[in-house]
Amino acid sequence: MKKAVKGMLITALSAALLAGCGNNAGNAGEEGGAASGGEAKSVKLKMFIAQPRLKEHYDNYIADFVAKEKAEKNIDVSVQLEMPTADNAAQILKTRLASNDAPDIFALHAINEIPSYYKAGYLEDLSGQPFVGKLLDSVKPSVTTTDGKVVAIPLETLSWGYLYNKKIFAEQGLTPPTTLREMKAVVEKLKASNITPFVLSYKEAWIPQLVLPLAAGALINTENPDFIERMNKDEGSFTEMKAMFDIFDLINANGTGKATEVGGDDGAAAFAAGKGAMWLQGPWYAETILKSNPDMDFGVAPLPINDNPEATLINLSASTSLAVSKSSKNKEVALDFINYVLDDTASNDFFQALKFNPIATVHTYESYPWVNDATAYVKEGKSYQDPSIPQSVKDEVGKGLQAYYAGQISKEDVLSALDKAWKSYNKVNK
Amino acid sequence: MPVNSYKKYISLLAFVAPAFILYAVFLLIPTLGGMFYSFTDWNGLNRTYEFIGFGNFAEALIEDPDFIHSLLFTLKYVLFMIVLQNVFALGLAVFIETRSRSKGFFRTIFFMPNMISTIISAFMWTFVFAQVLPQLAEKTALTFLDQSWIGDPNVSFFSILIVSLWNGVGYMMIIYLAGLQGVPQSLKEAALIDGATPFQTFLNVTLPMITHAITICFFLTLNGAFKVFEVVYGLTGGGPGRSTQVITMNIYEEAFSNNFRYGYASAKSVILFVIILIFTFIQIQVMKKREVEA
Amino acid sequence: MRQNKAASLLTAGILTVLAAVSFFPIYLALINSFKSQGDMFRSFVSLPTSISFGNYAEAFDKINLLGSTVNSVIISALGIGGIVLSASLAGYKLSRTTGKLSQVIFFLFIASMLVPFHSIMIPLTRMAKSLSVQGSTYGLAIIYIGLGVNMAIFLYHGFVKSIPRELEEAAYMDGCNEYQTFFRIIFPLLVPITVTIAILDFLWIWNDFLLPLLMLTDSESFTLILSTNTLFGEYNKDWSLILAALVLTAIPVILIYSFFQRFIMHGIAEGAVKG
Repeated sequence: MKKAVKGMLITALSAALLAGCGNNAGNAGEEGGAASGGEAKSVKLKMFIAQPRLKEHYDNYIADFVAKEKAEKNIDVSVQLEMPTADNAAQILKTRLASNDAPDIFALHAINEIPSYYKAGYLEDLSGQPFVGKLLDSVKPSVTTTDGKVVAIPLETLSWGYLYNKKIFAEQGLTPPTTLREMKAVVEKLKASNITPFVLSYKEAWIPQLVLPLAAGALINTENPDFIERMNKDEGSFTEMKAMFDIFDLINANGTGKATEVGGDDGAAAFAAGKGAMWLQGPWYAETILKSNPDMDFGVAPLPINDNPEATLINLSASTSLAVSKSSKNKEVALDFINYVLDDTASNDFFQALKFNPIATVHTYESYPWVNDATAYVKEGKSYQDPSIPQSVKDEVGKGLQAYYAGQISKEDVLSALDKAWKSYNKVNK
Repeated sequence: MPVNSYKKYISLLAFVAPAFILYAVFLLIPTLGGMFYSFTDWNGLNRTYEFIGFGNFAEALIEDPDFIHSLLFTLKYVLFMIVLQNVFALGLAVFIETRSRSKGFFRTIFFMPNMISTIISAFMWTFVFAQVLPQLAEKTALTFLDQSWIGDPNVSFFSILIVSLWNGVGYMMIIYLAGLQGVPQSLKEAALIDGATPFQTFLNVTLPMITHAITICFFLTLNGAFKVFEVVYGLTGGGPGRSTQVITMNIYEEAFSNNFRYGYASAKSVILFVIILIFTFIQIQVMKKREVEA
Repeated sequence: MRQNKAASLLTAGILTVLAAVSFFPIYLALINSFKSQGDMFRSFVSLPTSISFGNYAEAFDKINLLGSTVNSVIISALGIGGIVLSASLAGYKLSRTTGKLSQVIFFLFIASMLVPFHSIMIPLTRMAKSLSVQGSTYGLAIIYIGLGVNMAIFLYHGFVKSIPRELEEAAYMDGCNEYQTFFRIIFPLLVPITVTIAILDFLWIWNDFLLPLLMLTDSESFTLILSTNTLFGEYNKDWSLILAALVLTAIPVILIYSFFQRFIMHGIAEGAVKG
């Protein structure tokens, strides 16, 4: 008895010891045990989507998928859906991947995370899947890797700049400015009428960070097209992006107080209550805004960053996207689900229920007014694809701008910290 | 004799094995694993890595101002916590000890925050700092309450302290209360009769008799304060910028948000471990000496 | 005599003020949990105009209160049981043996108390995965045993020193073997420190956040704290709902406190003094 226990423990220990030290062995042998047709096969699919607020919709859609898979392929699918909060999502997903426990399907951020996860070899190439043909052209680039492979299906797409209160703008006879000079005039006019021009909410570092993709995108699409490539080769510098401080300073000088204490949700409440006419934020806060003031009428406009009206553009981007794990043992079913996301009949209602923007030709529902605002700009060609700035640089810019706002560091400090962060990214991901 | 000592080993192992095996599997081996990674450039995501010797350690201590800043910030926090937490706890204990009927009531009130999870306390206090206090200042004349409690790095250090103390003082208070009960009433009375003031009595009679409790409380505070994470994470997130970032947050950020440099983050946590080890060692040596003297 | 009275009033006054400050956040959580979102923002400190249990009903549902509580109870009970059993054996033996080996083992246990959790996070998850204890409440309880024995052994080790050896020797004379001696004679004497350990570990396991977050995948197996965390939505925080959930998660802890108050106080003190 004692011997048996001891033996087991030793085995367990040595297995654990080996597992503790790197996993260069890969996943050979895991593909074995393929199904032998005939009887109903059962498959357990693990999914990881960090959007607990939308759990109900995902649950329903997954249930439909399970029924379909049973009817068409006689496969009993059971889905285990893990839904951590967004704050912890990246950490948990990374821990899962690092411990060889990859979910079959997982959500990640298209622009920020796809490049490094793809490089590390976790993403299945989906280029040949039927859904790819249905994606809108404006959406496809965000889930395509630099070597031309589609590796994820975008769920949430964004077309954004800043938000403005349409009622206040109408009352003051204002229209969204197209240059920095016009923006200054708008600010003056608002101040003259005792209206605070901007709501500031910088408690979470990612909110001040938003100014970087907007400024960089605008400059890259007008005067500095090869910025990203040069940065990736350690040849550029953020001093070229110094212009972003012109608009950032203007916003900060004319905003609500205690910004580093106001989180996104509080900012949404303040904006909805009319405490500021504009808010540096994307339409992904629409639901929160409407929750605190259902009658709120707001629009999306491109943020001017200099006096070139050509540089005042809408940012097109994708965030939450679904990818299939390369090491998934249930790839067939996982791929079925991925394609089902853009199913010809079911997908339309699903996306509408999620309140996401249309991303594919199968989506025909009426989109929201703020989406239409942005789409109008896009149709005029006033838009660009979100520049591919590494996540670590975005994190750095957020923290840097928070500290800059709090008066702790100078512009130059922010810019050199960004250069350092990008160099470090290059070094780690060489 | 050899047979006897062999038997002794067997019996020792038999008693220790259940605890030791689980400890080894879930704590010792992972700790060694973390130390192992600290010598590599593994980024937590890639499947391969290389050994880079002490490169991570050198980088953390020489080229990483953010890490050094978080280290100094943590030291400052530890210092304040050791002094304030023990002063408050001991003060409360002394005061409560003098009460007769309300003893249980006060003990309960001050101990209660200790039972609430730290992360939840931090969220609760965020609500108090960001919403309630400004409103209170607006509605009453207490304008000093209208601070940028969690937004201004100079103030938020104290906000972090307030929440940490709120959460931790109760526990230390209980330990001090027990220590005080061990001080014979007759000794204190004798001192008072000899003409000592209550404060002198406390200093010369009570304090020397509770050095053991003080040692324990210093040890617990020191160890806990170096590892502080949830309070800061829930309250300021280390911000604005990195102004209130403690070491554990710096490590967390390195491992999970920046470039996922897990090897580098592991090196930083080894440094933290060594620092805690040194401080604890010094503290215990000093305190043990005093205890013996007393 | 008069001076005494004044001093007594002064301490009472100070204590009352401090108690009020200390209780203030709990008071806020309590009263606001009964208000609607709108009511709450009008005034945080005033008592609710009408008591509504709407937030509680919603929180009850959203955090799957019954299921989550059962999970938390299972994890805490198994974890504490395992820690107490294995650590009392080890702590006792290590305290009674003087050899090099026993010193080394004891030192390993103690030193590991200082290891920051963040440095073992990823290796620990890998280990859990390779032993297939990840994702289940039982597995999590086993991990807690592994992480918690060091502190418990430290406390038992100190406590055992105060038990006279004559007792064991008498038992050996009577023909008890080591295990019998331990369970019949020693373990009952360890009750005070065992209570301490059980309480400390209960507060730790019940309130822990990061480890369950990493280990549990299925929301069916979430602990109470983890379920509460899901209320912190991506883009909005419904404070009145969250506060109701906080009150609900604190109730079991408060109940345990009121039942075991004397043991808790005694236990903590005992642990500290004997440690």
